[in-house]
Amino acid sequence: MNRDEVFDLVRDHLAEELEVDPVKISEQTRFKQDLDADSLDLYELVMELEDNYGISVSEQQAARIETVGDAVTFVVENAP
Amino acid sequence: MAGGVTVALDGFGAERGFDVLAEGARMAAADGIGLRVFGLAGGLDLAGIEGVELIPTSEWIGNDEEPVPAVRAKKEASVVRAARDVAEGRSAALVSFGSTGATMAAATFGLRRLKGVQRPALAVQLPVPGSPVLFLDVGANVEVRAQHLVQFAFLGAAFSEAVLGVERPRIGLLSVGEEAGKGTDEVGAAHALLARAEGIEFVGNVEGGDLPAGAADVVVTDGFTGNVSLKLMEGTARAVTAAIRDAARSNPVAGAGGLLLRPALGGLRRELHPDTTGGAILLGLRGIAIVGHGSAGAEGIANAIRLAARCVEVDALGRTAALLAEGGVGRGALASDASA
Repeated sequence: MNRDEVFDLVRDHLAEELEVDPVKISEQTRFKQDLDADSLDLYELVMELEDNYGISVSEQQAARIETVGDAVTFVVENAP
Repeated sequence: MAGGVTVALDGFGAERGFDVLAEGARMAAADGIGLRVFGLAGGLDLAGIEGVELIPTSEWIGNDEEPVPAVRAKKEASVVRAARDVAEGRSAALVSFGSTGATMAAATFGLRRLKGVQRPALAVQLPVPGSPVLFLDVGANVEVRAQHLVQFAFLGAAFSEAVLGVERPRIGLLSVGEEAGKGTDEVGAAHALLARAEGIEFVGNVEGGDLPAGAADVVVTDGFTGNVSLKLMEGTARAVTAAIRDAARSNPVAGAGGLLLRPALGGLRRELHPDTTGGAILLGLRGIAIVGHGSAGAEGIANAIRLAARCVEVDALGRTAALLAEGGVGRGALASDASA
């Protein structure tokens, strides 16, 4: 697993669930401001990442994830 | 009859205890509905009931727990396992009488939202005599945007048509006046979107008093207003019923009149009883999820299971997805509409 693979999964998940064009999603994309994602969207992404990478994300850690890059970094740094 | 449908039942949370839950399961199973019950071995006596399987589960989520963290942390909790059972295809629908918040969280995360749906909504059938009114959202979303209300209208219309058998259900938007401009900014914006929506029969704003009068077949609002309205109606109905009972017992003549009315009122009482409708439905997910009344009796439990099975039988999910697509009210389309 490398950073690009994690980014691809996050981008594809967001594009599918939020019905946005995947080319508009980069590591700098902000969930709330740029994608109009709310807490439910973020929880679903977090649970997808937990299921796919065997990580565990606390409520506090989830609250600090603001951009796509934040999510990718969290997975890369915490995946077993 | 609902032969062939298997329902995942949360075996915890029913306030009247394991025996009542088991009796409700027995009644539903007698209709040919299969049940996979996630509950306490030794607590639930389901032995010998054909089509009912107990999956031993000792963990559960109580009303005093924060729903979302509890659902995420307790992967083996009864309601979480029941939702997973549906997601993985072993059961076709979820029914729980436990914590409403936990059931909504387990269903939302476990079953996932229908494609394009932003927020699931909790819907109840108001027992208006003769023609129940579907009322949503009654608590899933305290704050909503106009686009959410539009999607609620489509979710409610699809359920009303598919499950309740209402042809071209009339959709009303709850507000403080009938005129289009009345209400909050979000209600005003929702009215404008609904007025030009295709695929549903929007009849405009309805007021609180129109709800029990059956002015619309489906009434849409935010979860805060919906929950307050629902509790107000339930409380008012209890108070009025108690006042009528007291009046009927106030003297012998009134008592004789009450006795004469009793057969007619009995039918009405059954029609208005919460157990009759079975429970609330969480609409907008990729699976069927019924949130039963915690205080339901055996008949209410059986009816909630029957409602779940009926939703599966009539393909409520497929028909909902089709109506959302027909109306062009998926998330992406509504976002474009709002920014246009």
